[in-house]
Amino acid sequence: MGRPRIGAQFGRAFRPEGHFDRSAAHKPILVLDGVVKVFRADAPVLRRVDLTIERGEFVFVTGPSGAGKSTLLKLVYRSETVDEGRVLFCGRDIARLTPESVPFLRRNIGVVFQDFKLVPYWSVFENVAVALEVAGMPGRVIRSRVALALERVGLAGRGEDLASVLSGGEQQRVAVARAIVNEPAIILADEPTGNLDPVLALDILGLFEEIHESGTTVLFATHDRALLEQSPQHRLIVIDDGRTIEARKGLRAMGGALAAQRAQRDVDDAVATARLPL
Amino acid sequence: MKVLSRAMRGVREHVRTQLVSVATVALALFCVAAAALAAENVGELSRRWGAPMRMTVYLSDHATAEQIEALRSALSGLSEVRAARYVTPSEARAVVAGDDAVLASAGAELFPATIELTLVPGATDRARLSVLSERVRRLNAVSDVETYQGITAQVQSILASGRLAAGVIALVILLCAMAVVSNTVRLSLHARMREVEVLRLVGAAPSYVRSPFLAEGALLGSGGAVVAVALLGALFVLFRSRMDSFMGGALGMRPVFLSGFMIAGFVLGGAGLGATGSALAVRRWLKV
Repeated sequence: MGRPRIGAQFGRAFRPEGHFDRSAAHKPILVLDGVVKVFRADAPVLRRVDLTIERGEFVFVTGPSGAGKSTLLKLVYRSETVDEGRVLFCGRDIARLTPESVPFLRRNIGVVFQDFKLVPYWSVFENVAVALEVAGMPGRVIRSRVALALERVGLAGRGEDLASVLSGGEQQRVAVARAIVNEPAIILADEPTGNLDPVLALDILGLFEEIHESGTTVLFATHDRALLEQSPQHRLIVIDDGRTIEARKGLRAMGGALAAQRAQRDVDDAVATARLPL
Repeated sequence: MKVLSRAMRGVREHVRTQLVSVATVALALFCVAAAALAAENVGELSRRWGAPMRMTVYLSDHATAEQIEALRSALSGLSEVRAARYVTPSEARAVVAGDDAVLASAGAELFPATIELTLVPGATDRARLSVLSERVRRLNAVSDVETYQGITAQVQSILASGRLAAGVIALVILLCAMAVVSNTVRLSLHARMREVEVLRLVGAAPSYVRSPFLAEGALLGSGGAVVAVALLGALFVLFRSRMDSFMGGALGMRPVFLSGFMIAGFVLGGAGLGATGSALAVRRWLKV
């Protein structure tokens, strides 16, 4: 018996026609099943990674530089493809999407990067609106939704400003607005605070927390321990040497100080465990 | 319309790059236009000199004046003939002798009377001329017919070689121009990789990403073609009087500029060239 064909079961999800499989709403939003990613044969970046993320979760992914955090996110928005295993997004195997379907997948995922990825000569409005324009939304809808998104990130009334004149923190807010403007199912954040000072980093984390509270799933890759300690209530996945370790599950019920201690210990333990020969 | 406005936004945002691009494309297309102009004038020369222009009908010694006039009248009525002129033996002697006193003193009976036919340019090809000369040769008052086909064939051959050379040069320059456009668009693309990256990231379909670049390439190509034609036209007007005297004296024709049809084709071709060059650049750079 071979592996069941995922495409047959969830074939209508993320199709260019815009039809969605209703049953996808009851599946985990993201499943990584035995994922292997190799750039150099002697050093796989990801080695049989298994990970399930439920809807509405806020998950930190951490690990040393080069551990594969960004690669993991790239596999989700299909900038890279798996060498082995499956990445199921709402039950649909991303690796098996046709090239024509990839843009439709990306319209359901918001991505925020360390270097913001804004077009400097576009206005704030244009940088956010582009996420809706590519989907062919009417101008009236675009204007109202962009205004709402800018308000959510604290940039109301700044639509006319050029992206290049904004501060780093403001640019990252624009990037977050672009990521949330089409109300995606999940937001992937790849070291979004890497270029910001500690105060702004916490500020941006707070923004993601607010977005999460409105029901959006967030997958937040960072190696900034201060951020992990700041939000001990969230699930933490550590990637080291190509493997993932569940460092902590939700700590929502725990108090702040205890949670911070626990977070620190969890990270240390997980990294130490990951380095043991298996 | 949206594609065009997005393309125009790209042009506006990189005005300096685009101006340099248009200038580069214009320079390349100027060479193509110059080659086309050369080909056009060689073509005109070919029409003027490559086609049979005249025919000489030698009359028999016993042809009467009535027969000669009837023959001249009949020949001048032919559609291929623009004019038919009777040349008496004395006139023939004067033409042949020129300043030569010996020939001028020779008896007129040594020079046969002829009817000189001036043919309509372009109306007579080699086959038609052969048929015509054969028909005329059979007439009673005619002793021989000279069609000068050897000379026209030689001229035709030289001009055909010239046209071929101009065509090959134009083709080579055209390919160079396409490479220039392609590289220019690639440079423009390179300057806008962040924009492309963002578009891909937010789920733009490949056609959505590509289309403004293709439109931009077409605008660039047509803009370059307009500048090239304008530049060539300005130079043509500037040097026209000098070319007029040279070509009029040596070749019996006036220089011609590209026809309106050719200019329109050139601008459209420039747009096509730009779009093609752009498509090549985009295909290589935007594996969306």
